[in-house]
Amino acid sequence: MTLTGMKKHVGVLEVAGLVTTEKVGRVRTCRLGPRGLEAEAAWIESHRQVWDARFNELDKVVEDLKRKEKVDGRQKR
Amino acid sequence: MDDRRGSQPNPIKNRTTVERRSDRELVVTRTFNGPAHVVFEAWTKPELMKLWWAPKSTGVPLRSCEMDVRVGGRYRLEFGHDASESMAFIGKYIEVTPPSRLVWTNEESEDGAVTTVTFEERDGRTLLVLRELYPSKEALDEAVAGMEEGMPEQFEQLDELLVTLGTSV
Repeated sequence: MTLTGMKKHVGVLEVAGLVTTEKVGRVRTCRLGPRGLEAEAAWIESHRQVWDARFNELDKVVEDLKRKEKVDGRQKR
Repeated sequence: MDDRRGSQPNPIKNRTTVERRSDRELVVTRTFNGPAHVVFEAWTKPELMKLWWAPKSTGVPLRSCEMDVRVGGRYRLEFGHDASESMAFIGKYIEVTPPSRLVWTNEESEDGAVTTVTFEERDGRTLLVLRELYPSKEALDEAVAGMEEGMPEQFEQLDELLVTLGTSV
């Protein structure tokens, strides 16, 4: 990666709040940024995906139970 | 009764939402195409719970599932590939009201949430709302922060890149 490319890359990370940079003399120091909001949003989305995967399986269980109830209901009559 | 058989061969997938509703509370909602007593049953019988609580896509199987679903009864759900690397979720039921409400504690840590699940039936469908209420803002923050530990690799790589950049830019 070229120096210009690097600078651009860091700029993108900085805008995204992932890093903060500070230039002292000739040296620019980068730190991981606050990214509090991004991290929380990512966590909530991953949590959502876990529940969504579970609930897609639960849909199948619900369908099975409904089918069984229908059959049992008919047998009782 | 709605009995249009075959009218819904591929029912539209219902959306799962998750939101942090307050400093201490996380809320998950989802609608199911079935009556509340059926959905409730799937949450309270271990043999049914096993079928969906650990979906294959998450990659970690449910090793055992013990649930004594009555007020004061305990549960223990153990995940893992083998006995040496398993993780157990434990707690007790503090409210059991078929088919509309289920409340349990999460006791794997001191800062565990209390989980309340409500099942609200309307026109043969059930709106499920799951609330996780943490003892403090810090406890929920910590649960959220725990997730970052799940992504250390990316951050480590980023750290390395930044160290390199810091010395050269």
